[in-house]
Amino acid sequence: MPENVSEHGGAASPADDSIWHWRCKVNGQIIERDLPASTTLLHALRDHCSLTGTKGACEEGECGSCTVLLDGAPVNSCLVLAAQTQDCQVTTIEAMASGRKLHILQDKFLAAGAAQCGYCTPGLIMAAAALLKQHPDPTPDEFLQGMEGNICRCTGYKAISEAIRQAAQEWPTPPEVP
Amino acid sequence: MLYQPQILEEALTLKADLGGDVDALAGGTDLLVALSRGQWRPKNVLDLSRVVERSEIRKADSRFSLAHGVTHAQLTRLPVRALAEAALSIGGPQIRNRGTLAGNLGTASPAGDGCVALLALHAEMELTRAGRGSRRLPVRDFFLDYRRTELRPEELITRVVVPADWTSAWHKIGKRGSVNISVVCAAVARSPQGRFGVAFGSVGPYPLTAPKTEALLNAAALTPELIDEAAAMAQTEVSPISDHRASAAYRRAMCGTLLRRLLTEHFLNGRD
Ligand SMILES: Cc1cc2nc3c(=O)[nH]c(=O)nc-3n(C[C@H](O)[C@H](O)[C@H](O)COP(=O)(O)OP(=O)(O)OC[C@H]3O[C@@H](n4cnc5c(N)ncnc54)[C@H](O)[C@@H]3O)c2cc1C
Ligand code: FES
Ligand code: FES
Repeated sequence: MPENVSEHGGAASPADDSIWHWRCKVNGQIIERDLPASTTLLHALRDHCSLTGTKGACEEGECGSCTVLLDGAPVNSCLVLAAQTQDCQVTTIEAMASGRKLHILQDKFLAAGAAQCGYCTPGLIMAAAALLKQHPDPTPDEFLQGMEGNICRCTGYKAISEAIRQAAQEWPTPPEVP
Repeated sequence: MLYQPQILEEALTLKADLGGDVDALAGGTDLLVALSRGQWRPKNVLDLSRVVERSEIRKADSRFSLAHGVTHAQLTRLPVRALAEAALSIGGPQIRNRGTLAGNLGTASPAGDGCVALLALHAEMELTRAGRGSRRLPVRDFFLDYRRTELRPEELITRVVVPADWTSAWHKIGKRGSVNISVVCAAVARSPQGRFGVAFGSVGPYPLTAPKTEALLNAAALTPELIDEAAAMAQTEVSPISDHRASAAYRRAMCGTLLRRLLTEHFLNGRD
């Protein structure tokens, strides 16, 4: 039980009004940290868990580079307080490869040359993983609706689309998204 | 202090006790942007995103009753066309998975896409204050002025109630992609008895209805001539401003265009 949450998970104790005891399952591991309550999930992951694969760019929900899966659904980690993920499951780009074996999406991004500066790539891969999990063979509309929250300023979207399409052809044989 | 109640009753009690000293936080897709820009410095935060009843959708008496935390992603699957289409136009999947209808109402942006759909559907909302019970009001009475609403500091928006048996449609002119603040959006709805609702976004200080246009549509059978009249009338009922996205004249003209298009495509000849 986090220390500033009452028995029914409700009102906080007045003892500490700024520190939140964050407990969350990140990439399958339970993590507990004391954080300022206003810490976003993005900064909790990057600054308090050394999980710097998730990138922050706009920090206003526009670009999608900070995309992670929260209980399996893609969200902008810059727009979620870490506290709002209490006892939830968060999946980041670090969980995609298993050991030295890349995830099929990572493989296809490499092969298609879908990254230049690479800043958008982790977010794109998480959004694509969520898309293909929901729609293993997405229609053009589903594809667009699944990927429209992510922006790439370098590549144009051709190689990215190609990489995701190719990954889709081998889906769902690759390892499940944890 | 961050409060994270797990049940609605507890959230309501906290809001009633702390009033204006605590800000409700739902999906955070408006508030966290403001936090990131340094525009939101809350004394206390009431996180509604863990309330267990938040996502509930009930159907009764040909109405859907939506709990406060129903997300845009959920709304895209609701068989209420205007609301589902409005929800699908909001942000990308990341925003739709977090952003809520109550949050869209709470922000009361003139461009609020969900608000516009609700206005056309003659939807109602429930505002609740612990100890005093709930009051129901038409969404049409909720908006008072630019980002000013009927919501009192001790209250929460607890439910939104929309008709399940109306024909409705919605369209937005705006930029494609997640950067999606609309230039103009419009919604039209019609009850099984033939009563119309017409609403527009981004053409006034808050999401607007067009009561004279509605009266015109309610009074006679829908014909191409009546649609022309309604499109002309609607342009007199909106009060757009010019900004970097579009001029007032363009927005006004587009209200007529959108209304004509929605009525013709979805309502003429009993289509849909
Ligand atoms: C990239 C991006 C794109 C967007 N695109 C669109 C778009 O196309 N169209 C559009 O309309 N909006 C858009 N938005 C804005 C936003 O997503 C919506 O307004 C959303 O519905 C807000 O809901 P929320 O749950 O995230 O609200 P929050 O940010 O959590 O809260 C918003 C306001 O509502 C209040 N509130 C929330 N719940 C309650 C409650 N139960 N009772 C009382 N008050 C409450 C809060 O106190 C706050 O004032 C976009 C935002 C971003 C970041
Ligand atoms: S950093 Fe989160 S959306 Fe851009
Ligand atoms: S590769 Fe640079 S932003 Fe996409």
